[in-house]
Amino acid sequence: LLFLQRVLLLVASDVDALCACKILQALFQCDHVQYTLVPVAGWQELETAFLEHKDQFKYFVLINCGANVDLLEILQPEDDILFFVCDSHRPINVVNVYNDTQIKLLVKQDDDLDVPAYDDIFRDEEDEEEDSEAESEGSEPSEKRRRFEEEVIERTMKRRQRREWEARRREILFDYEQYEYHGTSSAMVMFDLAWIMSKDLNDMLWWAIVGLTDQWVQDKITQMKYVTDIGILQRHVSRHNHRNEDEENSLSIDCMRIAFEYDLRLALYQHWSLYESLCNTSYTSASLKLWSVQGQKRLQEFLADMGLPLKQVKQKFNSMDMSLKENLREMIEESATKFGMKDLRVQTFSIHFGFKNKFSASDIVYATTSLMENIEKEGPETTNFIKALDSLSRGNLDKLHQGLDLAKKQLRAIQQTVASCICTNLVISQGPFLYCSLMEGTPDVKLFSKPVSLCLLSKYLLKSFVCSTKNKRCKLLPLVMTAPMDVEQGTVIMVGIPPETESSDKKNFFGRAFEKAAESTNSRTLHNHFEMSIIELKTEDRSKFLDALISLLS
Amino acid sequence: MEPAEVEFLAEKELVTIVPNFSLDRIHLIGGDLGPFNPGLPVEVPVWLAINLKQRQKCRLIPPEWMDVGKLEEIRDRERKEDTFTPMPSPYYMELTKLLLNYASDNIPRADEIRTLVKDTWDTRMAKLRLSADSFVRQQEVHAKLDNLTLMEINTTGTFLTQALDHMYKLRANLQPGESSHSQDF
Repeated sequence: LLFLQRVLLLVASDVDALCACKILQALFQCDHVQYTLVPVAGWQELETAFLEHKDQFKYFVLINCGANVDLLEILQPEDDILFFVCDSHRPINVVNVYNDTQIKLLVKQDDDLDVPAYDDIFRDEEDEEEDSEAESEGSEPSEKRRRFEEEVIERTMKRRQRREWEARRREILFDYEQYEYHGTSSAMVMFDLAWIMSKDLNDMLWWAIVGLTDQWVQDKITQMKYVTDIGILQRHVSRHNHRNEDEENSLSIDCMRIAFEYDLRLALYQHWSLYESLCNTSYTSASLKLWSVQGQKRLQEFLADMGLPLKQVKQKFNSMDMSLKENLREMIEESATKFGMKDLRVQTFSIHFGFKNKFSASDIVYATTSLMENIEKEGPETTNFIKALDSLSRGNLDKLHQGLDLAKKQLRAIQQTVASCICTNLVISQGPFLYCSLMEGTPDVKLFSKPVSLCLLSKYLLKSFVCSTKNKRCKLLPLVMTAPMDVEQGTVIMVGIPPETESSDKKNFFGRAFEKAAESTNSRTLHNHFEMSIIELKTEDRSKFLDALISLLS
Repeated sequence: MEPAEVEFLAEKELVTIVPNFSLDRIHLIGGDLGPFNPGLPVEVPVWLAINLKQRQKCRLIPPEWMDVGKLEEIRDRERKEDTFTPMPSPYYMELTKLLLNYASDNIPRADEIRTLVKDTWDTRMAKLRLSADSFVRQQEVHAKLDNLTLMEINTTGTFLTQALDHMYKLRANLQPGESSHSQDF
């Protein structure tokens, strides 16, 4: 039936969603399904798009948006409209889970949802009054009276039961909805769909890889989940790419190949110089404490330990001597362990096609994110989204390179901001959480008016802070960060991130906390983001909001 | 003629594909195609083959002349002979380009094939230039060239005819110099 109907695609603004969208677009093109693509950055845009298009479309596909709220209540659709939701946000709203007709969730089978049982949350209203009418006959008044008493007792019992049930329901829902976290990447779910339909291609596999890597770069999933998902993707990679070992019938060099790599965790190092990459990757920068003079010295020691001359290391990576590049990974790993960086290598994938083009998955993630959040306005709102979407196709290398340049600028800006925040002690403990606020006039502050960039900055800042502070208690605290968003309208953007620990389960309670704090202080807030832990706030309301938050979380 | 038009004509050539879907015979203006059964090879025009390949509905089988050994032989023969040797297909250049661009994963040793075909093309174009050069020098009136493909003719055709036109005009302007004296009276 899809052949005759058109479909509306509503896609959130993050790289995982972009990748999932690409896969779905490719599948639609194979089967000549007509679709319209609408990028949405928040709930308001979702509602507007829905209202605009609800008369023309019966089928809506939501990518990385919509699972964590009651869709039917917010959008009020007609009965024949069908929603397909492919969203990695958890917890999925219970109404969405238990709705049989209008909402179809695309979720991987083994994804652990922990949804409360149906009976614990929903209850039919009719059980109440049935029994009361059944006993109206009775011959003797004393019997009747006895029966009446019994009825009254029954009814009070029922009411008490109901109150208990409701209290338990509130508790269950509170536990269920308290923490936000993420499930399997939407791009991977889409790839699974393509695989089941036997239409999976190497290109789609690459997009699934980039989607997963995006979740890892943004610290949205646990290390264990990442490794498990990498294992799954690796099986697909070997299936698609095994012909490379066969010399006789090897593929043309222009064909795209994906390779599994146990690569260095240094951001963009193959497109930059090794030195820059070491300075601007949060892991190395935080471990070596590069914001201090001692840190810089330690970096020099680190390089000397590996036997890499400074001149070599500061030039473009591709121009480094081959002899140095050959055993680079093992050498760096050895020296890194000596300096306390045990996890400098990470399992990931890289792609190459043609003679010149080799990219690692994280390179693409950084490039696409910076294209999407490019502050230079080049046209209508959606241009950045479309540009970022295009850069994921192999044919648009110029956009990809532009993205890489922007990403380098972004990473440098992040590191410099982190260094200045740490050196000027801008991160203060407020009791239950750490707080840092970027002032207007800070260099590059405009870059951080965008949600993903601000989140990245916050995570890097927290990592560096944990490495720099000696206060044991502070190391376990979460961080709330604000940055000016729109100077004219006087708003700031605020994000809350969970604490940085080794075995963090990445669950974030700030979503609910922000909501409650906003309610209790009547602050003018905008909870527009699909991530509940990112909000916009009027600058004047900031202090009272924070006070409420502190008392809420103490 | 534009090269794009020549390519359009080339797309009518038949090539073998192995579909992964099934469809009954389809009746088109140019003829009937099909039926399509998954796993069974069927011959279709190149334009349909490319479209199906892009929609991942088939696997292309390279034509039998698109093989490294055969192409090496052709290239060596072309280099030895002074005149043009017959080519395996009147549209060899276009087919190579189309198939290698869209279906290089179905063609073994695609890079070598691309190089071999390019070598052959270069040799033939060199012969064509040489022949055109000697044609003009010796002021021949007509020439006969066998075994040229439409794409090769098209590449030199426009240039050659326009150049000859110009030369004719230049030559024609040389002669009236003698007879114009009669107008001075």
